Amino acid sequence: MWLSLARRFGSLLVVMFLVATMVFFLTRLAPGDPTAILLGDQATPADVERLRAVYGLDKPVIVQYVLWLKEVAQGNLGQSIFLQRPVTTALAERVEPTFFLTLFSITFATLIGVPAGIASAVWRGRFVDQLVSALAMLAANIPSFWLGLIFIQFFAVRLGLFPVAGYGDPGASLVERLGHLILPAAVLGIVNSALITRFTRASMLDVLGDDYVRTARSKGVSEFSIVIRHAFRNALVPIITVIGLTIALLVGGAIVTETVFGLPGIGNLVVSAVLRRDYPVIQGALIAVAALYVLINLTVDLIYTLVDPRVRA
Amino acid sequence: MLNSVPPERRDYLRTPMSRGNIMSNHKGTPSRRQFQLGLGAAAAAASLAPGLARAQGARSANLAMIGEPQSLDPMASTADLVSIIVQHIYESLYTFDAAWNVKPMLASHMPKVSPDGKLYTIPLRKGVKLHNGREMDSEDVVASLKRWLAMTARGKALSAEIVSITATDASTVEIALKTVQPALLAHLGLPSGFAGIMAKESIADNLTQFIGTGPYKFVERRPDQYVVLNKFEDYAARSEAPSGYAGKREAKIAELRFIPVPNANTRVEGLIAGQYHFSDQLPVESNKKVAAASSARAVLTMPYGFPYFPTNTKQGPFADVKVRQAFQMCLNDEEIMLAGFGDPKFFALAAEHFPKGSSFYSEAGKDKYNKGDAAGAKKLLAETKYDGTPIRILNSKQYDFHNRMALVMAEQMKEAGFKVQLDVVDWATLVQRRNDPALWDIYITHAAFLPEPMLVPPQLGDGAPGWWKTPAKDATLAAFNGEADAAKRGVLWGPVQQAIYDEVPYIRPGNFAALLGTSAKMKDFTPMPWPAFWNVDLSA
Repeated sequence: MWLSLARRFGSLLVVMFLVATMVFFLTRLAPGDPTAILLGDQATPADVERLRAVYGLDKPVIVQYVLWLKEVAQGNLGQSIFLQRPVTTALAERVEPTFFLTLFSITFATLIGVPAGIASAVWRGRFVDQLVSALAMLAANIPSFWLGLIFIQFFAVRLGLFPVAGYGDPGASLVERLGHLILPAAVLGIVNSALITRFTRASMLDVLGDDYVRTARSKGVSEFSIVIRHAFRNALVPIITVIGLTIALLVGGAIVTETVFGLPGIGNLVVSAVLRRDYPVIQGALIAVAALYVLINLTVDLIYTLVDPRVRA
Repeated sequence: MLNSVPPERRDYLRTPMSRGNIMSNHKGTPSRRQFQLGLGAAAAAASLAPGLARAQGARSANLAMIGEPQSLDPMASTADLVSIIVQHIYESLYTFDAAWNVKPMLASHMPKVSPDGKLYTIPLRKGVKLHNGREMDSEDVVASLKRWLAMTARGKALSAEIVSITATDASTVEIALKTVQPALLAHLGLPSGFAGIMAKESIADNLTQFIGTGPYKFVERRPDQYVVLNKFEDYAARSEAPSGYAGKREAKIAELRFIPVPNANTRVEGLIAGQYHFSDQLPVESNKKVAAASSARAVLTMPYGFPYFPTNTKQGPFADVKVRQAFQMCLNDEEIMLAGFGDPKFFALAAEHFPKGSSFYSEAGKDKYNKGDAAGAKKLLAETKYDGTPIRILNSKQYDFHNRMALVMAEQMKEAGFKVQLDVVDWATLVQRRNDPALWDIYITHAAFLPEPMLVPPQLGDGAPGWWKTPAKDATLAAFNGEADAAKRGVLWGPVQQAIYDEVPYIRPGNFAALLGTSAKMKDFTPMPWPAFWNVDLSA
């Protein structure tokens, strides 16, 4: 197992190097110049050139790449062109809302998706199954920005239960700040519950037909105990996989929801950076998200070994 | 609206301040249903955030802006967003009143100008405190103006004409010029790329301390969350009655919070829900909704700015002035504006570049405006060597109205015999491509309505995309810019406007309005190009 872990860490480094390289060259392939955007309409070509030199954008791309890679290897993701601060600082400032939004969203998604998937499997082909499947289909196809706006309109504007947007007033406590995440987390939870529901249903259907379930039934074990203690436990591996993937997607992918709810998260940072061509931020944020993605996958693999002893072998 | 990165809000301004029109609410309070749906989970969750939904102290204002400001350095950016915020921290020597007349702000009076118009002696107000507690003096002014000349595009253009800026005593500054610069004071007063006066000890390439003399002082910035300004208790206000940006400024609200809210719908809903006291740049479609809400007011500012379409006079088919004239002739500007802004309430056709009442009002070239004459354009085009090369219209969907106007324009051009290619890109790409004459023939942009012709659009200067450079331009602008007398200068704008219609370096199809929203609690808000929150109060 330790050897396998070491191998995984080794491949992680290779993946990160490839991601860094791709991210760097893809951002440079896109047209657009951050300095022209920063300086505005009235800037002269000389102004633009001067600022390009300040940020090293006047150097050949390959030289920029080597210099940047050297810095990244030392843990320095560079300086944001627009934010006037190190990329690591900019990312660190946005970790809290993104972390908690991900945590709350996945909690919502799991609390909705897993019971719904189990119910759907247990009552396969019956009304509950059809209803859950229809709702899951609906949730999977609802655009999150639309659902976000509907939630804002209903829960925040009409009912006044939640703030419309933002992440708390200056000096707001953590609890108050987290209160701002409930609506967006509900939106993301609903949208992302669909996949968990379907995976749970499929996985449960697989195991509910197995011999040991039949044996348990013949021995008179209660249906609840069969479903939860026997079947669900054995159906967990694919469910954990999809939950892990959803977490990874949420870390870097809640962009639209963060924008609609005005949350200062990593998704928002990336969108702004792309539109401004703030190369250091795009590169730094994508590398950070990719690293998290890889780490989450690694964690999921480790969890497999805990829930399924066969994987350890 | 990424808008989020609103590419260039720097080009937009709003309009003559006096023309803003507050649209009052028409309906009573919409009934808000009691929450009786038994959503226990939601209610429990809400209890985690006590009072979050609407708890705003009456003495602090939440101001929803279109995004995160690029900087808080008044000279580092020309973005409107930056100007709107930093004008509360910094003040300039001169500013504009409600009728766009230049008025003193940190200067005590209008300058004494030498008979040849090349030496400005500017007296400074005494007893004006900087936010660090020290009294502002002429050395702060000289250091700030020198930084402005070195850093900003307008300052750099002006610096070639400046001999020296000197402090003759603690409260007097002299600016010596090589040539007459009739727009000097307007340049010093414009909040975009702002010549704000800062404490000389705070001056650095990258500002880390934001120390000005304004009615609000900088407290905290959390990127993508807020910029907080607090009332400056030692603020030294002018004694004149407030008018536009001029006169007495009073910080009635203790704390201003500029909050980036990139999504326009969220700004609308937040305003109606009472979370924001001000929402900038609302979609015109939300006008009825905001106006109908008891908690909010819709504020329409007309004219706010104007779209314009620079032509590539340097390279390609449009290098031929006759082809450009055919282009101008085929355009039905009313259709284009309707496509862009949807409802006539939000735009106005205007052949004149400056409205009646402005010293620059002129009808020169009016006969060439809004012709919509496809047949005439076709005939004119036939007289040229135009060979059917596609005319590339560079435009961006980042501003929806740009793209919608481009679509209608393309159809009108096709009717006149042009072949047209729509190059739709994101704004960052457009900003880069427009600097290369090989890549476009027309591009779509917009600009602020400004009182001084030489401030915008940049095509009136040299080197801006389009590269308009002709004897007619040089002659008319030389006469215009060489005249120091304001009244005579007004008359000299007519020939410049005529040259624009004759040579078509760009098309101005009309003016458009901006829609803002304020809380019903906000009192004495005056629509201004860069909304300001001094002299504004909140009722309890």
